[in-house]
Amino acid sequence: MLKMTHLSKVYRTEVVETYALRDFNIDVKEGEFVAVTGPSGSGKTTFLTIAGLLETFTGGTYHLDGIEVSQLDDNARSKIRNEKIGFIFQAFNLIPDLNVFDNVEVPLRYRGMKAPERKQRIMDALERVGLASRAKHYPAELSGGQQQRVAIARALAGSPRLLLADEPTGNLDTQMARGVMELLEEIHREGATIVMVTHDPELAARAQRNVHIIDGQVVDLAEDPRFHAHVVEARQGKVAAE
Amino acid sequence: MSLQIKPILAALRRHKAGTLLIALQIALTLAIVCNALFIIHDRLAHIGEASGVDEASVFVIHNQWGGDQSEQEIDAQVRADMAALRQLPSVRDAAPASGYPLQGGGWDNFITMTPDQVKPTTDSAVYGGDEHLIDSLGLQLVAGRNFRPDEVATMGDQQMVIPPVVIVTRALADRLFPDGSALGKSFYAMGATPSTIIGIVQTMHRQGTSTWDRPYAGQALIWPLRRADTRGLYYVVRAKPGELAEAMREAPRALYAQTRMRIIAGKDGIQDYARIRQRAYDRDRGMAILMGVICTVLLAITAAGIVGLTSFWVGQRRKQIGVRRALGARQRDILGYFLTENLLITGGGVLLGLVLAVGMNLWLIVRFASQPMPIAYLGVGVLLLVLLGQGAVLAPALKASRVPPVEATRSV
Repeated sequence: MLKMTHLSKVYRTEVVETYALRDFNIDVKEGEFVAVTGPSGSGKTTFLTIAGLLETFTGGTYHLDGIEVSQLDDNARSKIRNEKIGFIFQAFNLIPDLNVFDNVEVPLRYRGMKAPERKQRIMDALERVGLASRAKHYPAELSGGQQQRVAIARALAGSPRLLLADEPTGNLDTQMARGVMELLEEIHREGATIVMVTHDPELAARAQRNVHIIDGQVVDLAEDPRFHAHVVEARQGKVAAE
Repeated sequence: MSLQIKPILAALRRHKAGTLLIALQIALTLAIVCNALFIIHDRLAHIGEASGVDEASVFVIHNQWGGDQSEQEIDAQVRADMAALRQLPSVRDAAPASGYPLQGGGWDNFITMTPDQVKPTTDSAVYGGDEHLIDSLGLQLVAGRNFRPDEVATMGDQQMVIPPVVIVTRALADRLFPDGSALGKSFYAMGATPSTIIGIVQTMHRQGTSTWDRPYAGQALIWPLRRADTRGLYYVVRAKPGELAEAMREAPRALYAQTRMRIIAGKDGIQDYARIRQRAYDRDRGMAILMGVICTVLLAITAAGIVGLTSFWVGQRRKQIGVRRALGARQRDILGYFLTENLLITGGGVLLGLVLAVGMNLWLIVRFASQPMPIAYLGVGVLLLVLLGQGAVLAPALKASRVPPVEATRSV
């Protein structure tokens, strides 16, 4: 589904070159739930923005759903973002001027979908996240957890092949975070491919697989005992709880 | 480009103040620009009105008498002056006249069809001149005949002579006798003596060019009168083709050779028709320029307002634009969003502006006797404002379309 090989991302200024990603390799299979972890500045978000075609990369190759994306023009990248990718942002990124219904509708409009189909999909997605009754509410009238659910509904409404989540619970309290995480797990169980960036080992432990990034490169978790211990601990806790 | 009218309207409802201010500005601009364009066009059309005169060849000398001469001496001098002018090699013809078209103001009378009629039928400019006046002005005689020399009367300072024959313009003839039977018919322009129409000229502008004259536009009559006015009179001189400058140099010399007991002022004593026309329409030209400046300034202010507000909104919504791009909007979708948004605001402003424009025109009609504005001006105004709006919004909209999708992941 998502395969990056020897990928690099370099930010250049007149005096310095900074590698955000270097010889970066990752292969996410269809239906996987992968958590990408790493310390601040490690390149997690850069990876996610490149994976979501929000940014271009400097070298290497990136295949998304079998398509090599490096040569695509802006329109083609927009089309792939719209049709194959669903985004869930840490800050929810709902449009404050639009109500819940209209927010969920945004990507569907850009797809050129007819109004009846849009409406059906929007209501299905809102039902899915338990917010169908809030369709006419504005984001400011919702709690953080509800806003993130709307964002998930917006990501789901277009039936994307890949869900990219950037610290999806980062702005939520524990209870709301748990609810959002359970929703993501449920979506995954239904067959969605999810890549979630997080620095929370507890959340990472709930994913199927963990990828750890340090200094712009994927590192073997076995070589990072500190992180390994965190994840094992968290996974043991999860098993015990179950 | 996907049309997004409903969500744009929804977003605009959340930004009422800015939206209403720009829409109001557009409405006021439209109302003023439509009326100003109408006034400009009206004034320019006025400036271009035909005088009926062969303007390329005709000039006018304002001859004032010096010394104390009797009316008989003046009349003799006028005849001698005419003979001298007509003999000049560069002159085709010359005539004494009580006034001339586009002079700025002059003699006019009410016209009645019977001597005891209380309410006049219409009004006409009145010119007095001899049998050479029509040719000297270059007027086109389209029916009847010119005056005979024996029909030309002399009129002194304190006299009022009503000649029994008259030549009228086509406009006056048609006004008095709409069935086209004017030739040979009579009317009364002063007192109880009728004047019988012996000739009709195609066009002869009134002396005045003010809007007051408009209901009587083109209505003029010529009486066969040579005024022996002790203060002075006008000599209308028509040069031979291409010899205007030469004639204008020779004419005063020829007149002074006759007698030096006269004054021909250096600045305005001798004027060609280019100068006469320019002076006659100075106010109209000034008004057209003023209205043009007002239109330009208003349009510039409105455009600046649109650019300012849209730039502010683009800056304010940078993250939102990034989110839209992340969700699949193409650059042209973002461009289309802002163009459509502007079109909707302009549309609202234009609707209100149309009402204001018509209201303003009605007020001008009532208050300043303006003419009803043709609907085409509203169309031109709307087109202008829509193009202005789309033009003004283009730069900030293009800037918005270049916001990268990665902006969605950046914290504000």
